[in-house]
Amino acid sequence: VAPVGFVFSEGQKMSVLAVLLVPLLPLLAACVVALGSDGTRARRTKIAAYPIGAAFCAAIVTLYVVTTQGPITLRFYDPVSVGSFAFPIGFYIDRLSAVMMVLISAVGSIIYTYSIRYMYQDAHEPRYLALIGGTTFVLLCMVSSANLMMLFLFWQILNYLLYVLAHNHSHEGTLDGAFRMFTLLRVGDVAFLAGIVLAHSLYGTFEFQELFVRAAESTATHSLLPGIEISGATAVTLLLFIGGMSKSAQFPMFIWLPRFLYAPTPVTALLHAGIINAGGFLINRLAPLFGLSSTTLHVALVVGTLTAVLGATMMLTQNDIKKTLGFSTVGQMGYMIMECGLGAFSLAVFHLIAHGLFKATVFLSSGNVIHKARQDPEFPHVDPRKEQESFSRLTWSTGFFTTLVIPLIILLVTHGILRIPLLESQGAVIILFFIWVTSSQAILTLTRLRAVASWKVSAAMLLTLLFVVLVYLFAVESFTVFLYPNPADVAFYFQAADLPNWLFDLLLLGATLSTILGWLYLYLRAHGRSVWMPTWVDGVKIRLYVLFMNRLYVEQAVQHIGKFLLRLLHRIDKHAQGWSQR
Amino acid sequence: MMNEMVTTLLASVPLLGALLCLTVWSRPAHVKPTSIVMTMISLGATIGLSPFLTVSSEGFLLLFLLPLAACLSILGQPTHKTHRSAWVLTLVFLGLGLSILASHGVMGQLALLVLFGLVIGLLYRHHSALWPMSWWGIGVYGLGMVAAVTSDVTEPPVSTVASLLACAVLLPLVPLHSGYFTALTRLPGNLPSFIVVLFPAVGLHGLVAVTPVLPNNVAVAIMGFAVIGALYGAVRALAQSRMRLRLAYSSLSLFSMLWWFAVAAGITTAWASVFVGAVSFGTSGLLLAWQVIRTRYGDDVDPQAVSGLASTMPRFAVLLSLVALAVMGLPPFGVFSGFMGLLLTSPIASPVALFVILLAWLATSWYILDAVQRLLFGQQRADLPFTDLQQSEFVALLMVVLIVIALGVIPAGLLGPDSAPALTSAMTGLFAWNK
Repeated sequence: VAPVGFVFSEGQKMSVLAVLLVPLLPLLAACVVALGSDGTRARRTKIAAYPIGAAFCAAIVTLYVVTTQGPITLRFYDPVSVGSFAFPIGFYIDRLSAVMMVLISAVGSIIYTYSIRYMYQDAHEPRYLALIGGTTFVLLCMVSSANLMMLFLFWQILNYLLYVLAHNHSHEGTLDGAFRMFTLLRVGDVAFLAGIVLAHSLYGTFEFQELFVRAAESTATHSLLPGIEISGATAVTLLLFIGGMSKSAQFPMFIWLPRFLYAPTPVTALLHAGIINAGGFLINRLAPLFGLSSTTLHVALVVGTLTAVLGATMMLTQNDIKKTLGFSTVGQMGYMIMECGLGAFSLAVFHLIAHGLFKATVFLSSGNVIHKARQDPEFPHVDPRKEQESFSRLTWSTGFFTTLVIPLIILLVTHGILRIPLLESQGAVIILFFIWVTSSQAILTLTRLRAVASWKVSAAMLLTLLFVVLVYLFAVESFTVFLYPNPADVAFYFQAADLPNWLFDLLLLGATLSTILGWLYLYLRAHGRSVWMPTWVDGVKIRLYVLFMNRLYVEQAVQHIGKFLLRLLHRIDKHAQGWSQR
Repeated sequence: MMNEMVTTLLASVPLLGALLCLTVWSRPAHVKPTSIVMTMISLGATIGLSPFLTVSSEGFLLLFLLPLAACLSILGQPTHKTHRSAWVLTLVFLGLGLSILASHGVMGQLALLVLFGLVIGLLYRHHSALWPMSWWGIGVYGLGMVAAVTSDVTEPPVSTVASLLACAVLLPLVPLHSGYFTALTRLPGNLPSFIVVLFPAVGLHGLVAVTPVLPNNVAVAIMGFAVIGALYGAVRALAQSRMRLRLAYSSLSLFSMLWWFAVAAGITTAWASVFVGAVSFGTSGLLLAWQVIRTRYGDDVDPQAVSGLASTMPRFAVLLSLVALAVMGLPPFGVFSGFMGLLLTSPIASPVALFVILLAWLATSWYILDAVQRLLFGQQRADLPFTDLQQSEFVALLMVVLIVIALGVIPAGLLGPDSAPALTSAMTGLFAWNK
């Protein structure tokens, strides 16, 4: 481990300034907005947009330098005695950090600029805009942390900033949501805290590189119960993963997210585009550590899959746009964690970037959609006869055969052109099957479009296929090479995430069956035929719909448990010979 | 000899200040500034004379914090003739506290006895039939006094256990927390906001000497009480609607954590001082903030009845939020640093106990944020008059915030050599990890 100071090459001297400017400029913007008289308020809010924009430019410079010349390390502490110093402030910028810095500063700039008009004439405008600047600063520091402790510091500060960013503190629902969000995130913080204490206890360092080396060398194990032993790396990563679960709204800790939708739309956009990705970032930052524990990766796979499925299902049953988008995020975050669980770490980062940009755009546009819907209300209407009449054999056939061809193309491209060793990496195969299912689902949706001629739909299907293959395979593969230049690392993570063979086979079989059954169901529905089902199935379907519409009643359950506990506490307090009786 | 002389000098400054205050007793507006000036002189004297004192590094930290706490607690109090006695008593308590922390001999032991006697007298004086529980408090301080005497006149292991009892009365530990609770809820004026710093500091001072010589079975029992205390304090704090009681239970929970770490480690590191200083100052700050509310809306007001202060009292809201964040254990404040320091420098004797401690730590965020949220947010009351912080109140709260931040970012080198992390458990094998 290098001593106190800056570690960078000769050519990186200028870029050190850029690295420091990236987080400091949004902080400057926050100060500019927060400090000053009311008379200069409008001017200050506009001026403050420039430092945030400049931070984005500096982030791009940093990305370029890091890509061409290697990582930069800046330390303002002595790494040898980091345990005795509470605030080991330093920066470690590698490609992952630089990419995240570009994403955060870009989203931060867009959201700040949007907020200037959004919050115009609001009494709390300066506080709100200053908090946006402050949150961007904290996020940038978090992703560029030089050690686990600094990452944890900013991880915690972020929670409180989110709490105050809920903004409308006279509205009971907002307050309740913000409070619940903060306390739930603190649960994750405590697990994170336990994880880093355990990591320090086992490996004696918080420095990332040093930690990875020592963890790889360590053979420490721990007996949870007689006969059941887990490795040190598993214990540490499981605890850290719980921390990540809370921030990335994984099941069952997702309940804070829908409640937070009372916050101003730009804040929601920032949350969904930047903050919620923290879990995925954490796993990627500690990828060498997570790669040492197959158990944690499998837990991540289960939690992520469950969240993806439940989040997506709940999204389909929500009846307001913000909740729909909120649960879409839950589903996407589940997908991202699932990718991590399969050992596809770089794919998770690619996903979080794509999702972040997409979701920020959607949230910022949601106001317009609501406005338009109020002016021109439209109600969904389904006429089975019309659906039957509009069925196109050409569209269906193109879709069906395209779907059958997709796996073949994917296999040829991945194995023949990209040279991905599919036989050695189960995770890659599962992801490829997942791509097959999702692209089939997209094509299934396209066949149900009514307003266009069938040849257009067929063309759209083929374009979708090309798009999916290009983006998911070439772009992701390029990004993987960019983020993890050593192919051995990628192979190591995939191997660490390997599943038992029977489970692997079952997953592939499930994916294949779901795709084929989807097409058959569509065909039968389009021909006015129905698949025979027992009558109770309809009842179950309705109950399931209600269940998912009410978000599985998890929020209510938590609320009831909370109220029960409080009642119990008050009862104990009342009966105890306590001070509060007087 | 030199140390005792310097200690006498240190203690005499605030005691002389108390006498000086008596000369201007008839003019309340003069008593307050006189008291404040004397605490500042006391701080200056402590800094100036510290090279001549043979005190450990953590002892110095507490020595410097005491005059500051006295000054801020007086500063945050509104000027009124009913508060004169509390200001004068603050100076007396400060003199006694400095004697105890700086002295190694008879003077410190005598000061401790006087301290117990004085607080018993005060609690008796302010006893009310509505608070019969305060008899328990008086009794516990009586026990502390007896324990202090016993520790002076007996040999180990009796003296060790007696010292431990005296420490448990001052730095609250279940089941001897009643005294601390009575002092926090029954003492008049600014005294609770000073006592909350003074007593734990004195208790920790005693603990430093006791922990290395504790018999193993006693240590195990104390650790058990500490874990129970941490959880009990947190659970009871969650159920409280009265602010001072909530803060009392909160600090009981946090100090119990310190007991657990200190006894588990067998030594008291400098991080313990940071933790005690930060928790005490944070609690003192919240008491000062609560004093602001009491001054405006009455003695026993329900926090929810004066909601929405964030809009009407913005300066108060910002400072209260920051102090609350400190007590909740968020960075960059001292409570977090102290807790992290304790976690990293103490061996983890039991993962289950650590889990309970972390649970109690988590609960802090719940009940403190709940209390603050009730006060600051929610619907604004149109029928209530709102006055933001007066200059002195603002300065007092701001200073509290700055001190807890300073405790959070204090360089490790200033805390002495024992602040370095302990050997990792992988090396010592204390965490039952199998290599």
